[in-house]
Amino acid sequence: MDPVKYRHLFLEEATEHLAEIGRALIVLEKDPRDAEALEQVFRMTHSLKGMGASLGYEAVSGLSHLLEDRLGTYRERGGIDDPEGLPLLFRGLESLERMVEAVRAGEAVPVEDPELIADLEACRGAPPPKKAGGRADRRR
Amino acid sequence: MACRVLVADDARFMRQLIRDIIEPEGFEVVGEAGDGREAVEEFQRLQPDLVTMDVVMPKRSGIEAVRDIMALDPTARVAMVSALGQEALVMEALEAGAQDYVVKPFKPEVVLETLRKISEKEE
Repeated sequence: MDPVKYRHLFLEEATEHLAEIGRALIVLEKDPRDAEALEQVFRMTHSLKGMGASLGYEAVSGLSHLLEDRLGTYRERGGIDDPEGLPLLFRGLESLERMVEAVRAGEAVPVEDPELIADLEACRGAPPPKKAGGRADRRR
Repeated sequence: MACRVLVADDARFMRQLIRDIIEPEGFEVVGEAGDGREAVEEFQRLQPDLVTMDVVMPKRSGIEAVRDIMALDPTARVAMVSALGQEALVMEALEAGAQDYVVKPFKPEVVLETLRKISEKEE
């Protein structure tokens, strides 16, 4: 694998994916049950996971994997149905953006935000919340 | 004659990676598809010897695309491309008619061994 060529491909495609995730999250902010937007974010994080893993960017693949798991749960439940969901997804997006920018700047990929990882890990396997709804605390 | 391959994956990065792994080893990538619907259309148009099919794709998933392709040609040869944690989806794809699978991140030798095994399989 030519690392320069694939780093360039990663930056190009990851930048597009992050922009698409941002747009889809805004749609989900308005309608947390928008299946198309949810599917879009799921696929984009899945793709980032695969690219990150292929290049050994473990922080990118690890965070993307956790986000993908959470998005998979929301898909099964028919939408984002907990108040912490969207803020976590936006934090995930910000963290991925920082990682991609670090790759672009030629830096080592920063380690994940431990608090974000802990929050995502904490929700793994959690039962569905009793109340639906919730809004993000961050607008883009 | 080189084995003619259609590469279906929604990520350009992955399509390029598969191409770079298999082309120097005697496979010919005759086409690429960025979603499941395009994969079926390109399969019909190009009639490749083998398809590499990502599981998670827009429009039609890789599994749906396998079903469509097998309905068009029950002798089609398809290798699924999956990620860790997608075992259930891979099983579904194998039941739909795919012959084998490779897991991302790729080990080039595993990709080549899998594709050779499928392409050399007796009908």
